[in-house]
Amino acid sequence: MNFDRRRFLGVMAAGAGALTLGACGGSNSDPLAGGSASPAGGSSGSAAAGSIVVGSGNFTESAILGQIYSQALVAKGVQSSVKANLNSREVYIKALQDGSVSAFPEYTGNLLLYFDKNATAKTSEEVIAALPKAIGSLKVLDASQAVDQDVYCCTQEWSQKNGVTSLADLSKVQNLSVGGPPELQQRDYGPPGLKSVYGATTASFKAYSSTAVKVKDLQDGKVDIADFFTTESAIADNNLVKLADPKTLILPQQVIPLVSSAVASNSTATAALNAVQKALTTDDLLALNKKVDSDRQDPADVAKAWLQSKQLV
Amino acid sequence: MNLFSFLENAQNWTTASGAIPYRLGEHLFYTVVSVAIAAVIGIPLGILVGHTGRGNFVIIGFTNAARAIPTLGFVILMVLLLSSGAVPVLIVLAVLALPPILTATAAGVAGADSNAVHAARALGMTPGQVISKVEWPLALPLVLSGVRSATLQVVATATVAAYASAGGLGRFIVDGLASQDYPQMFAGALLVALLAIVLDILLGAVVAGLRRRARPTSDRRVAVEVSAAA
Repeated sequence: MNFDRRRFLGVMAAGAGALTLGACGGSNSDPLAGGSASPAGGSSGSAAAGSIVVGSGNFTESAILGQIYSQALVAKGVQSSVKANLNSREVYIKALQDGSVSAFPEYTGNLLLYFDKNATAKTSEEVIAALPKAIGSLKVLDASQAVDQDVYCCTQEWSQKNGVTSLADLSKVQNLSVGGPPELQQRDYGPPGLKSVYGATTASFKAYSSTAVKVKDLQDGKVDIADFFTTESAIADNNLVKLADPKTLILPQQVIPLVSSAVASNSTATAALNAVQKALTTDDLLALNKKVDSDRQDPADVAKAWLQSKQLV
Repeated sequence: MNLFSFLENAQNWTTASGAIPYRLGEHLFYTVVSVAIAAVIGIPLGILVGHTGRGNFVIIGFTNAARAIPTLGFVILMVLLLSSGAVPVLIVLAVLALPPILTATAAGVAGADSNAVHAARALGMTPGQVISKVEWPLALPLVLSGVRSATLQVVATATVAAYASAGGLGRFIVDGLASQDYPQMFAGALLVALLAIVLDILLGAVVAGLRRRARPTSDRRVAVEVSAAA
C-alpha cells in the first residue's frame, strides 16, 4: 500500500500528528500475533531484562522490517518480540525513550528532520553523520543501502528522445511537465527545488492521486516526468527510467534501526541487526512489500523467508 | 483557522487556469455534457420501454447494476483503458446519470393516463403520434425530475474527475487533503454543494412550470391538439 506509506512519511515529515493513517489493509498484521517471533516467555510487550521489543509502524514495509529485526535477534539467541502498528513518530519515539520499545526500523532523512527541523544535511553521508547528535539519548546502528524515498521517473522512450538520464539534464527540456502527488507542488523537492537546484523550469504540474493513472499518463506522453517511491513496483513493472539526483535534491531515506542505548551496548544484538542492514537492498524492500501487499502473505513469513535466503537465521 | 481564507483570497478568483472560476467551469462542463449524453441515450430508450411495456425487466436489472458500480474504481479503469482527461470522466458520469433518467422516462411514459392513450388510438393516431402528442407531454414532468436527480448526483460525483487528472472542483478537495490545506478543501466542498443547490433550484423551477402546463386544467388545449390531429 504505497499510498498509505506515502501519506505516512509525508505526514511525519511535516511533523503533524496521527492523521489519515487508519487503514493499511495490506499489512495483514494481527495484533494478537505480536509476540510471534518471541521464544517462550518473551511476549509480554514490556522490556524485560534481556528481551528486546522491536516496534514497527502501521504500513507494510515497517511491519516486515520489524519482523526481520526481531527474528534476526531471536536467531542469535537474543529474546525479542514485535510490537506492531505504532502509528506515529510521536508515539514510538516516546516508547523508545521510556523503554517499552527498544528498536524500531527508521528512515534516515525523516528521522533527522523529526529531531532537527532546520537540519542542513543533504547527502546520505551528511544525514547519517548528523543523526547521532540530533537523536539525543537514542542510538542508531548502521544505515542500510536500501532506500525508500522519492525518485523522479520517465519512460525509456522519453529519456532517449530528450537525452535525459538525470535531473541535471532537465534544464535543457522545453515545456517540462511534472507529475506527482498533489502536495509535491509545494514541497522543496518538487518544482521549486527542480528550479533552484537544477535550473529546470516546470511549465505545468499535474497532480495524481492514483499510481495507475500516473503511469498511464507517462506512457501516453501527457506528462514528462513523475515522482514515485523507490519501493514502488510500478517503476520496474513499466520499465521506467529512474532519474539520477547528483545534487541530492531529494533527502536520502535509508533504512536504519533506531535503538535504545541498552540495545546499542548489547554487542550480540547490534551484530545481528547490522548483519541485516548489510544484506538489505532497495530491491529486497520492493520484493518484500509486493509479497505482502499483492500476494497477501504474512509479514512474519515473508521476513523469515528473506532471512533464510540471506542465511541470517 | 479561517475556513474561508481560500475563498476570500482574490488570487483564487482570477481567470487563470486552476483558479476557482476555471475549476467551476470544468465542473459545470462535466455535469452538463454527461447529463446530456445520458439524456440522449436514456430518453429514447425509456420511451421505447414505457410505450411497448416490454423490457422492464432489462431496465430494472441494468439500472440497479449501474447504480452498484463504484464510480472511483470505474474512473481509474476507464483511464487505463482509454487515457486520462475529459473522456473517461464523461463516460463514467453519463453511466451514473443514465439510471435515473431511464427509469423516470419509462415510468412516465408507461404511466401516461390510459384513457388519454386509448382515446388517441381510437382517433386513429399512429403509434408515433400517440407517443409524441399524448404520452410524451404527459411524461415530460417526470422525465425532467429524472434529469434533475441525475444532475444532482453528477454534480456531487464529478469531483472524481480529479482522480483522472481532469480538473473540476474535486481538485480543491484532493489537493487540500494532500497538503493539509483545510480552507482549500472546505472551499471545494462548499462550491460543489452550492453548485448542486443552484442547479437543483433551476431545474426545479422548470419542472414546476411543466407540471402546471400538464395539469388537466389545460383540457382545452389538449382538445384543440386532439382535434387538430384528427
